[in-house]
Formats: sequence, structure tokens, C-alpha cells
Amino acid sequence: MKKVIPWLLCLGALLSTQAFVLWQEKNIGLTVHFQPVFQGEKIVLDKALRISEKDSFALHTLRFYLSHFVFLKNGTVVLEEKNSYHLLDVENENSLILTFEEAQNLDFDHIQFNLGIDSLTQISGAMGGDLDPTKGMFWTWQSGYINVKLEGFSAKSPARNHAFQFHLGGYLAPFQSVQTVKLSVPKGRNLQLQMDLAPFFEQVDLAKKHSIMSPGEEAVALSRILANSFSIYEK
Amino acid sequence: MKNRKGAIPIIILLGSWLLFVASVGWEPDPIALKIPKNWPKPAYDFSKNPLTKQGIELGRRLFYDPILSRDSTVSCSNCHLSFTAFTHVDHALSHGIEDRIGARNSPALMNLAWAKSFMWDGAVNHLDFQALAPIAHPTEMDHSIEKVVQKIKTKPGYQARFFEAFGDSAVTGERLLKALAQFELTLLSANSKYDRMILGQEKFTEQEHNGYQLFQKNCASCHAEPLFTSHEFEKNGLPLDTSLNDFGRMKITKLPSDSLKFKVPTLRNIEFSYPYMHDGRFKKLRDVLNHYTQTTALDRKIELSPNEKVDLVAFLLTLTDREFLFNPDFSFPRD
Repeated sequence: MKKVIPWLLCLGALLSTQAFVLWQEKNIGLTVHFQPVFQGEKIVLDKALRISEKDSFALHTLRFYLSHFVFLKNGTVVLEEKNSYHLLDVENENSLILTFEEAQNLDFDHIQFNLGIDSLTQISGAMGGDLDPTKGMFWTWQSGYINVKLEGFSAKSPARNHAFQFHLGGYLAPFQSVQTVKLSVPKGRNLQLQMDLAPFFEQVDLAKKHSIMSPGEEAVALSRILANSFSIYEK
Repeated sequence: MKNRKGAIPIIILLGSWLLFVASVGWEPDPIALKIPKNWPKPAYDFSKNPLTKQGIELGRRLFYDPILSRDSTVSCSNCHLSFTAFTHVDHALSHGIEDRIGARNSPALMNLAWAKSFMWDGAVNHLDFQALAPIAHPTEMDHSIEKVVQKIKTKPGYQARFFEAFGDSAVTGERLLKALAQFELTLLSANSKYDRMILGQEKFTEQEHNGYQLFQKNCASCHAEPLFTSHEFEKNGLPLDTSLNDFGRMKITKLPSDSLKFKVPTLRNIEFSYPYMHDGRFKKLRDVLNHYTQTTALDRKIELSPNEKVDLVAFLLTLTDREFLFNPDFSFPRD
């Protein structure tokens, strides 16, 4: 009998941790699924997307920061996510689904978030998680997060290999590129959000503009177009 | 023997409990930066990166480790040598990996807790982020923080040091940068003859005193005491070097009014931090003073007689801090 007791202790410890993990999994909260699309069609990297009969392009990279998630009801904030920084990467499907544990049974009618990283965070020194500078979303030659990395190929682009490259960021006045998005949401279920790049590629002529790699007026203008590309997807 | 068998699971339990305690209970030893008397409040927010003995030591090892460069040949200390006020002497433009020549003169490093921006044009907004620039620059270390982190993970000894410094052995970009910043924050220079004169512990010679008065009249508006810099960006009247086309601060702000503005460097330890100016065009302090009295590009004319220049240089030499220059805590770490 004495031999058994320590083994039982071990087993008990194991079972209780398992139970804890299961309990945590059950309590998953509200999920918000971001789906980058082009004219309503899910974006697949490196796949040709047609703008018109003669014009197409392919995306090679689409990564962007969403931050400062806020849930509102009748114009009042009912939940503000703490340490709210998320790097979404089309290459990594899991990164497109955000979970808000505290919002599980929350009554809200609007969701608000930033496309990009705010100025205060930008000047606050090194951070971890999705903000770690090893994520490839931080400029080294001039401090600042790259809010959006959008890269690909288009026959129209006169650049080498017909590439286009938009690294949108910048936090110094007057070229703050961070954009706030606020959307009205249907009640009481997990959310599906679309980010439709069609307006972006209709408004940006890749023959003339194929590369932005630093903060400035253009980065701000393109960030605005992208911020307007978010919408609630309803089946 | 029977009893021993029963002990195995208990040992396992005990062992895992110890590991648990070690992982949540480890605390590195805090260190407080000694703020010199009458100095302003540091700009660095220590609450986000508290100095610790282990963090500083890790940062020091990283500072002296060429692993930060692509071919593991160049460390921070190549361009920032402790005995020369943490700058690259003798070279107008600093050179990095494969002897590639950069576009600027490496700045001296000291009293960085008070700095508000970094690099000659203020391109870097926080001490934590400063190291990213030389690590990635093709003429400096030509590497990337992602690869540096990967290399450090597999180099023996580092994981233990990360654990000691941060209570967790995971090597991340954030921790690497914060450890480097911790070491750099300790590079305090506040014990020059000038400092001892201010504290009433030592007296200036007549020549030094005269030089100090000339300094206060002609230089102190930009090179403000006690840090000997205003941390602002100013035009110093140097004509553009067309082989470099470096317009300074304008590159960052895109404002034409910032054209040819560069950060005001500290004058502390200037005796050892030659050559001078952002492109290292002057080898001697005399050359610098001659520029300031000859240029017509400044709003205010600086007039100094040859004798006054000699006195002014005598004062500038009182800013040399030997305790800082030869501090064993700042030099190459030996086991």
C-alpha cells in the first residue's frame, strides 16, 4: 500500500492539471475571425487575382497589426482588451482568429480597433509577444513598427521581377499612419470580419506606385484606404 | 531496496516542484543607477526595464560578442571602445563588417539614460531599439535580429544568462535589446575635473576657469550643462559633404527646415572621442573651434582670439573622466 501512495499523488497532480486545461479550453470566449479577401473571394497567397480582364496580381505577403480592441454598447466602452496587440499574417491561418476571453457573454453593438500601432506604444521601448522586433515588422534604420506589410507581383509594376512592396507605417506628426476602425456588429455571436483589398488595388496604380518603404504622406493615404476595407461579413 | 523504489516518484514530485519554484521564484538582484547630484531626471523609463546585476552582465556580454554580426566578426565594441569614450577613434567614418565604410562617425556612448533620441539624426526613438540599426546595417553588422536570436539560442551559456536576467531562459528580441540597454545605461560619466569643481572638491586653474566662462558664453546654449548637450538638433554651419549627401534630421522629419541639422553631441570625454562632427571631418579640437569662428552660416557669430581658443580647449579637457574611461565594469568581460 505504501508504495502506491506516491504514485497516486503523481496521478492526482496530473489529473488536476488536465482538468484545469480542459476547463480553460471550454471557456474560450468570443472569437473574431479576420478574412482578407479580394472582391469577396478569400485571398490565397501567390494565386493570381484578377482586377479586370487584362489586369491581375498575386499577393506574396500580407501581414498587419491590429491593436487596442474596444467593445462598445450605445457609445459606451464595455470592454477594453488589455495589452491589445495582434499581428495577423495570411500565411498563418491561426493568427487571423482572435479570441477575447472576457467578451464571452458581452452585450455590445460596436467593435473598434486600430490598424497599426499607436504613437505612444511606438516610443515605449522594446516589447515582447507580437511586438517583438524579431517579427520582422519593425524598421531598424528608423524606429517604428511597420503597421502593414503588403507585397506581391503584378505585370504592371515596372520594378525588378514586377514586384510591389508596401511597408506602411510611421508615427511622427504629421505622418501618423495608424487608423481607427469602428464597425457596427450583429448581436451575440462570434464575428466574421472581411478585409477586402479590392478598393486598394483599384485606387493604387501599380504602374506608377509600386513601392513605399518609409513613413510619409503616401503611407498615411494608403493606410486610410486599407482601414476602410474592413466590414462585417454576414452570411 | 523496497523503500528506494517508493522514493522515485517522490523525487520526481520534489524535482518538479523545485523547478516550478525556480521558474516563478527567481529574482535577479536590482541595481539602482546613481543619479549625480543636481542632474535632471533621466529620460529612460526604468520601470519598463529595471536594472539588475544579471541583466547588466548579460548586456555587457552581448555588447562584446561578435555573434551580433553576420559573420561573427564585429561586436558593438568595434566602433564603441570603452577606453575612447565608447567611440571609434582615428576613423572619420566608422567601418564595420568586411571593412565596409559607413556614412557617419560613431558617436561616443555615455549618460544614455538622459538621451531622448539616438543616432546623429535621431532616427532611433528609444535606447532599447538602438541596437537594431547597427545589427541590420549592411556596412555595420549586416545581420538581422531574428538571426541573432537564433544564433544566441544555440550558443552555450546564453540560455542560463537569460534565465538569470529575466527568470526565463527563452531568448527573445525584446530581452536581448533590453539587456543591451541595461548595460549601456550603466555607462555613466560624472566624475571629471569639471564635476569635482562643481561639487567644490577641486579647483580650476585660471586658464580652465577662463575657458569655462568662454564656454558658457559661446557654447552652452547647445552643449548645455551638466550633460553638455541639449539633446536637440542644430545646424552647426558645416557645408554639405557632397560625397555623402547627408542632410541629417531632414531625412527623418522630411521638413526642409531640418536640413543639415544634427544632434548636439555631448562634450564629455571629448579629449578621447576624436575625430569630431557627424562625419568625423575634424581631427583636433582646434579644427572644430576654427570652424565655429570662421563659418558665416550660423545665426550668431562666435568670436574667439587664438589665446581664448587655447583656454577653451583647456576647459574642454576638464571634461575627461578617467574613472569612466578605465572602469573595469565597462570593459571586455573576462571569466
